Amino acid sequence: MSRSTSPDPPADLLGPVQGEVSWFCCGTAWGPCSSTGKGACGTCNSGSMQHAWPNTSDACWAITRPDSCGVGLSRRTCGFRHRTTALCSGVSVVTAIADCGPQTDLFCGERSCCGATCADNRLIDLTPAAYSQIASLSTGLRPCEISAA
Amino acid sequence: MRSRRDLLKSAVLGGGAGVVAATALGSLGPEAAFATTAPAIEPGTPDPNFAEGRIRSIKENTLLVLGSNMVFHTIRVVDGTSLWKLGPVGFDQAKPGDGLYARGVRMPDGMLAAEAVWLNIVNIKGHIKNITSQTIHLDHNGHEVLCHVVAGKSVAIHSESPATSDLSMLKVSQHVQILGAWRPDTNEVDIATVFSPH
Amino acid sequence: MHGIAASQPYVIAVFLIWAGLMKLLSRRMRAQAGQTALARLTGATRAVPALRLVGLVELAVAAALLLPPVHPLDGVAAALLAAGFLAYLSYAYVAAPTSSCGCLGAHSRPVDLRAFLRAGVLLAAGLVAIGAGPYPPLAPLVLLEVVILLGLSAELDRYWLTPTRRLLVRLRRPLAALPPGDVPLETTLHLLRRSPAYCSASARLTSDVRETWDEDGVRFLVYGARERSAVFAVPLAGDDPAAIRVALVDEAALA
Repeated sequence: MSRSTSPDPPADLLGPVQGEVSWFCCGTAWGPCSSTGKGACGTCNSGSMQHAWPNTSDACWAITRPDSCGVGLSRRTCGFRHRTTALCSGVSVVTAIADCGPQTDLFCGERSCCGATCADNRLIDLTPAAYSQIASLSTGLRPCEISAA
Repeated sequence: MRSRRDLLKSAVLGGGAGVVAATALGSLGPEAAFATTAPAIEPGTPDPNFAEGRIRSIKENTLLVLGSNMVFHTIRVVDGTSLWKLGPVGFDQAKPGDGLYARGVRMPDGMLAAEAVWLNIVNIKGHIKNITSQTIHLDHNGHEVLCHVVAGKSVAIHSESPATSDLSMLKVSQHVQILGAWRPDTNEVDIATVFSPH
Repeated sequence: MHGIAASQPYVIAVFLIWAGLMKLLSRRMRAQAGQTALARLTGATRAVPALRLVGLVELAVAAALLLPPVHPLDGVAAALLAAGFLAYLSYAYVAAPTSSCGCLGAHSRPVDLRAFLRAGVLLAAGLVAIGAGPYPPLAPLVLLEVVILLGLSAELDRYWLTPTRRLLVRLRRPLAALPPGDVPLETTLHLLRRSPAYCSASARLTSDVRETWDEDGVRFLVYGARERSAVFAVPLAGDDPAAIRVALVDEAALA
């Protein structure tokens, strides 16, 4: 399975990794979310403390491909807990994996900053309930640090 | 008698005599470092201080909301509550049928005292299928979403560059994230921000 | 009339050869087999063998259509195959609405109206081909039908539809910058979120923007910060995040 392993050790294996965090809706809800469903793990709900991770399975990795932006990420499966900390404010939230995403490869090299601190590439997507704990939903995209919780 | 806005203005720009507890600085000091630790919520479970759903009815300052999980929420909006609908708006902009997310403090009687309410907010990713007059046709998971450019409001952010109201740099077939306000019961969205990776 | 019927085997064969070869040779298509509606029908592990089998059947029918002698059964086989496509598309549309069809190439778009139209045209061509005799085909008709079918193929959009739309967008500039008016609030907010002032205060903010107004070239934004308010002053001219100032104010004291 050469597709699922990148030549470098995963960036999040030894310590926190910095990247961009966004939010997504899930669970059959209103608006464009109506067709989204419960996510790859079958448990995703916008109101729950959950997130999407780009490497939950081989099939997931084949879609998100963070390695094409030069980022290796560890395989973490449904229910695994990550802590996402907003850079600058230091506010953090712990969530459990409920879906596959974001599509890191489609936004390679994108950068978000707050103050003088910046982070590259989309590495995690939080549910609205989780994202709104660390930033306003209207921000849409923020730099963050991700670690295993 | 100075107006409230005058007092807020003088607090932030300096010279604000008579304003209590104002800390006017270029930025706030190390006091901010004690990031308040909210009581941890079990990961994977619903957050009791958060609500999601559609407004069924509005009575005085209270929104009755039906969640997509068929749970009813009573949400109280007060003076200190922020409301968002393609930007900050007043309470009169909340309408039955609007979708919403709300964050606040859950009271013992089950009511959510809202600190922030976001009406019809959506944050969708997809590729641009076509661009027509002031409209972006977005392919979001195989479904077309018509995204309208709103003069004076919609902006594009190309990675690190400052936000610009010039959206003409966007290209057909490129991937974007669109933050905007859904028009209830349609596949249409008014654009607040288009995030483009380059 | 004879010419019309005699043209159909060639139209169908072109499409079946394309579809069959893609299924047998495209590595990308095999890699994505698990995400097609076929995988839902056969199970993910059998998706690739099923894809190959369908490809072989398509090539066999194409060969029967092209090679003499002309036989009504050729048309029957083509019509049956096209009817099978339609049934499969209907299944995909109902059972796996977010999956791609895996018909003529690798792409991630789900089954839509164009896919149904294409299968319908192929079915009609198959039915007409049943009556085909040993007559020469009408070249312009074959060409026209092939062009219509290609136009209905979402797999090929990136070669003609996307470039055409790009060209039109470049010529018409549908999103051309509007005449400069006031600075949009989102522009101010983006600058604000990059500022050291916002950075230092963001841990205390409990609401989104509550109030905003412009005065003397400065935009003021008020956020809730627990029982206090955070007031930001953002100069409307310039884009230096360091010029932004913040104050925490006890609103109760203002009343």
